[in-house]
Amino acid sequence: MIRLRSEASRGMALSAPATLYVGLLVAAPLGILVVYSFWSQTYVSIDRSFTWENYSSALTDPLVRHLLVRSVWIAALVTAATVVLAYPIAYFIAFRTRYKTLWLLLITIPFWTSYLLRVFSWKLILGFNGLMNSALMALGLIDEPLEFLLYNEFAVVLTLAHAWAPFAIMPIYVSLQKIDPSLLEAASDLGCSKIESFLRVTLPLTVPGIIASCLIIFIPTVGDYVTPALVGGSDGKMIANLIQVQFGAANNWPLGATLSLLAMVSVGLVAGGFVVVSNLMARRIR
Amino acid sequence: MTLSAPRLSALACLLAGAAHAEGGDLTVFDWSGYEDPGFFGTYVEKYGEAPTYSYFGSQDEAFTKLQSGFEADLAHPCTDATRKWAAAGIIQPIDTSRLDNWDAMLPTIKEMDGISFDGETWMVPFEWGNTGLIYRSDQISEAEISLQALTNPKYRGKVAIPDGAASAYAMAALGAGVADNYTDMSDEEFRKASDFLRAVHPNVRFYWSDAGQLDQALASGEVTMGWAWNQTELNLIWNDVPAQMMRGEGKGIATWVCGYVHMANASATDEQVYDMLNALTQAESGKYIIENWGYPHSNADSFDISDQDMIETYGFDDPKALFDNSLFFDAVDPELEARMLQEFERIKAGF
Repeated sequence: MIRLRSEASRGMALSAPATLYVGLLVAAPLGILVVYSFWSQTYVSIDRSFTWENYSSALTDPLVRHLLVRSVWIAALVTAATVVLAYPIAYFIAFRTRYKTLWLLLITIPFWTSYLLRVFSWKLILGFNGLMNSALMALGLIDEPLEFLLYNEFAVVLTLAHAWAPFAIMPIYVSLQKIDPSLLEAASDLGCSKIESFLRVTLPLTVPGIIASCLIIFIPTVGDYVTPALVGGSDGKMIANLIQVQFGAANNWPLGATLSLLAMVSVGLVAGGFVVVSNLMARRIR
Repeated sequence: MTLSAPRLSALACLLAGAAHAEGGDLTVFDWSGYEDPGFFGTYVEKYGEAPTYSYFGSQDEAFTKLQSGFEADLAHPCTDATRKWAAAGIIQPIDTSRLDNWDAMLPTIKEMDGISFDGETWMVPFEWGNTGLIYRSDQISEAEISLQALTNPKYRGKVAIPDGAASAYAMAALGAGVADNYTDMSDEEFRKASDFLRAVHPNVRFYWSDAGQLDQALASGEVTMGWAWNQTELNLIWNDVPAQMMRGEGKGIATWVCGYVHMANASATDEQVYDMLNALTQAESGKYIIENWGYPHSNADSFDISDQDMIETYGFDDPKALFDNSLFFDAVDPELEARMLQEFERIKAGF
């Protein structure tokens, strides 16, 4: 048996499998992406000489800017909608019910089916002769099917918000759970109304949970591909759809790699900025 | 002639050797659905089983996969892709002297640009059809329908066009009157075609990527016009939806041809590959695809032996009429193709 002398080497040995895993499956592909972004495509072959061309053309292209801004905007809307809707649910589970495990289980039910199926279900619900339109027409509320339900930003936001809801509920629930009840008792003893004690005690103490939910939802949704592809129509297309075109039909992997990296940098900047700002705001509330 | 014993045993060995190749040793990279055994009856007769099939969802996906080293013996792209595939070195030329049915092929199809170029034949055409404007005949009259109607503000949100630059630009070239030069448009012609697509964009409900989505939208009345394959027209007719493809001289229609290419890294023997190609191009295979799929076949003889009522219903009684005055999906100049792809993304995003 090998004896590890220092604590440091023991730590290294313990983390080696994870390091190897992350290195092979995250760092290496990312490295390849970076290398590709400095090459260029000439018809069916790759020109391996170094160039900034991809970056300069992507950054000056109004289409790329437009799609990046829209992706961030859609992700922000999804994040806001999801967190606002998730908070009351998390609050209910944490404080208002005795069957916490049952409720948490119920929340995960959408995850029991594939994400793709859930997107298709929304297509069936929002479609021209879908559930929503048929119901409204049967009730006599509308004469013609509503067309704004599907193939636009709204449909993308709705579908994503539904899909990601559990990811927002969990972190907020955990942070609510951790609140010491004596703090709330103290607040009411000192004459706080229910709303005041929520705003001055509960909400500030759950800020870390809210920030965590926001990041968990915002970061993956910026790069979502399948939802805008299926329910986005032409007004709901996002940056991932353009990246897919480069790796598919346009057969321009270097440009696709550049766009992927630009999307990652945008997400990083927005998410980083959000964490700084929300921490500052949280400090002010306290 | 009498056969001596050694000769007989040599023949037996030869037969045994030939039969030794398993039918499944041949790999075909294809669109899903084309593993239909009715397409290659004589191959199954000889080898006792069907080839192994592997599937792709789009030509671009197939190209990416093949270029990254995926191995197959035959693949099934369409004529607009062959130049690119040949340039990438992933396909090898076809030896037409080994094709039993080469002389029976419809001449116009056989002579298309994407079938033979650079002095070689690259593809054995299999099935073909029209791409055209399919419209709800109960909502738009025959007098009213034209490609220009796509840009009419009256049909806002009532149009679906394919989410593929090549197909969309073929439509635009026809609509803008620059189709004669579709594979090699000048800057001016390209601008006209792009402007046509821009004018259609406000009317587009969605850019369709799977034909089922379009079929349903046309059937429900969500859209009233769609640029689509003849298969959509048949699906709608089979489901009693009043819809048809706009035909008639000068109205604007395109013809697509798909077929089989021999992969450069094929591992099956040439004999087996050509047995499959010959099976696919038999007149009987053509009869099967015409009667069961409603697709016209490349073998001219297949039309005569098919159910003539069906031939008439599908308008195949004069196959030549289907592609007369039509734009053929040939291989677009690579540089122009790249510009089409980039510009199409812009147009779809409203730029």
